[in-house]
Amino acid sequence: MCDMNSGTVTASTTGARHDLAAEPPVAEGAVSTARPSGSLWRWRPSWVAVAALLTGLIVTGALALTSAAVYNRNERRLLNLRVRELSLVLAATAPSIQTPLASAAELADATGGNAQKFHAFIAPYVGPGRQFTSVSLWPLGTTHLVPSTVLGSAPVLASMPERAKQFFTHATRPGVLNLTSFLSSSRPALGFDFIAPGRAHGFAVYAENPLPASRRSKLEKNSAFSDLNYALYLGRSHRTSDMLLTSLKRLPIMGRQASDIVPFGAGVFTIVVSPNGSLGGTFFEHLPWIIALAGLLVSLAAAVMTDRLASRRQRAEQLAGILDRVAAENRQMYTEQRSIAQTLQHALLPERLPEFDGLQVGARYVPAASGIDVGGDWYDVVTAGDGQVLVMIGDVSGHGLRAATTMASLRHAALAYATQDPSPACVLAQLSDFVNSGDHDYFATMLCALIDVGAHRLTVASAGHMPPLLIDGADGQFVEFDANVPIGVVRTSPYLQRTLSVGPDATLVAFTDGLVERRGEVLDVGLARLREAATNAALGLEDLLSELAHSLTSEDHHDDTAIVGIRWQR
Amino acid sequence: MAEIEAEPPTVQIDAHRDSAGAHVVVLSGELDSSNADLLKERLASIPTQPAQRLIFDLTGLRFMDSAGIAVLIGVAAKASSVSIRNPSPIIRRVLTTTGLDNVFSIES
Repeated sequence: MCDMNSGTVTASTTGARHDLAAEPPVAEGAVSTARPSGSLWRWRPSWVAVAALLTGLIVTGALALTSAAVYNRNERRLLNLRVRELSLVLAATAPSIQTPLASAAELADATGGNAQKFHAFIAPYVGPGRQFTSVSLWPLGTTHLVPSTVLGSAPVLASMPERAKQFFTHATRPGVLNLTSFLSSSRPALGFDFIAPGRAHGFAVYAENPLPASRRSKLEKNSAFSDLNYALYLGRSHRTSDMLLTSLKRLPIMGRQASDIVPFGAGVFTIVVSPNGSLGGTFFEHLPWIIALAGLLVSLAAAVMTDRLASRRQRAEQLAGILDRVAAENRQMYTEQRSIAQTLQHALLPERLPEFDGLQVGARYVPAASGIDVGGDWYDVVTAGDGQVLVMIGDVSGHGLRAATTMASLRHAALAYATQDPSPACVLAQLSDFVNSGDHDYFATMLCALIDVGAHRLTVASAGHMPPLLIDGADGQFVEFDANVPIGVVRTSPYLQRTLSVGPDATLVAFTDGLVERRGEVLDVGLARLREAATNAALGLEDLLSELAHSLTSEDHHDDTAIVGIRWQR
Repeated sequence: MAEIEAEPPTVQIDAHRDSAGAHVVVLSGELDSSNADLLKERLASIPTQPAQRLIFDLTGLRFMDSAGIAVLIGVAAKASSVSIRNPSPIIRRVLTTTGLDNVFSIES
């Protein structure tokens, strides 16, 4: 029966082991496919990496735009400053034109238009490379206006009598420099005139400078304003037809520009400028692009790094998940095997103890707190004829299937010997001979007690086993013997047995060492603990056994424990 | 559970021959079912002849369970005599309970 049971249990154990062992490789496979492959084409960035890239790009964009805005504002500010400077420089040239003309006008008034004196005064200002190309003296107050004296080239104004009349009589204010231009003429020119203030307004001094036909006049490269393009207009106009000079081939000026009104004598110029390049320096011009490029690179690098970290973390989490599963499977395997071991253990022990008149019997088996081994502890209570009951309890050294099967064979051999002769010493001696006749590497301690129920007598023999506790009334004593060696040890003397008479309601508790043995503690301490627990509690036999099994086996007891109790009933 | 998670007990085994030609096996630490096989293997490598004396010096051994005793009993059959030297009170009590003080001669 026991062999069949153990065979069935073993088969299901290996089956369970196979199923569980097949699981982990599948999980390993899942890891290797999840691992990112080396090919860029199959690269699937994690969402964190994409988020990192987007964040980087947004920050980069914001920085680049800010930088560009700052740059533009700076350029605008600089351009405004520059046009202001240019306007001041231009305005500052007015006195250098006005002063000689005004002096000449005063002289002409004072000398009555003396040509010789006028000539002598103004000649140093006229000619190529000098201030004016042409200066002429015009007597006013006549109907037909013509110059009385001309130095340099003939003024364009002299060829336009109507225009001259209109200019000198209506458009000219005495005492300030007046401006006129001939922009549509074949000889475009800019003219200035001055009439001395006060008195009679007898003479006008008129100077004229030609303008280039194309109107183009580049600023010299070493000029303080070489970084600007400009267009100069007469009056407040921005019309191309009013344009005097420009550095550009095409008008109007496009892009960033600034303009200013330049007061000049009685009139004004309008100057419009645009930057030739970057006023604040090329570095600041390129800075937004530098920021954008660097930001893009940093964002990409951050995304790649983030992706790597994320995939590593993912792998670590997968591994942790697998470890958790393996641990859970191990726990399950452990639980299953422990349950198998306990099933086997119960199969190897008597299913139910027989009942006897006048004698209560009970037993407990407490497996070790941990581990999956079956133990080698066993017990039996059998009828032995003539109103006698034989109690046997034993413990095969070691754990595991080997100890359990050894225990089973010892148990059945002992039962067989007991049917021949239930005398405890005889059972032990025969069992010892049986074991020593073969090759073996174990030993077993065993206690046999033959109970004469009616005579209140018990006969006990021990093969190196723990002494049983006899509770007689309130008194509890361990039944001491001359020690005999365990089964499996070559003995030099016969097993001895001892017969005791007991009281009417005596109790005998036989047990294996798991109940009393503690690591680092002398055996007597454990025995005393048992005696105290057993004698202090006035309990029924079943309750007593349960109490002992519960209170004396600690949560971490490492050994199996068997307990058998008998109690005489009145 | 605590038993599983705790460090497994270790046993140190040192074997030599004394001046009288007896094999002396010095055991220290704790000898139990988790490491009794170590001692068994070590003893198998000692070329004991039936006429030889074997001495187990247990001065440094704090604990020995039935698995350890089984190893001692196993070699007892192969040597002419087995002595146990200086067992701790705990181990000595186990030896007397199991009647093995009649099998091994115990030297204090």
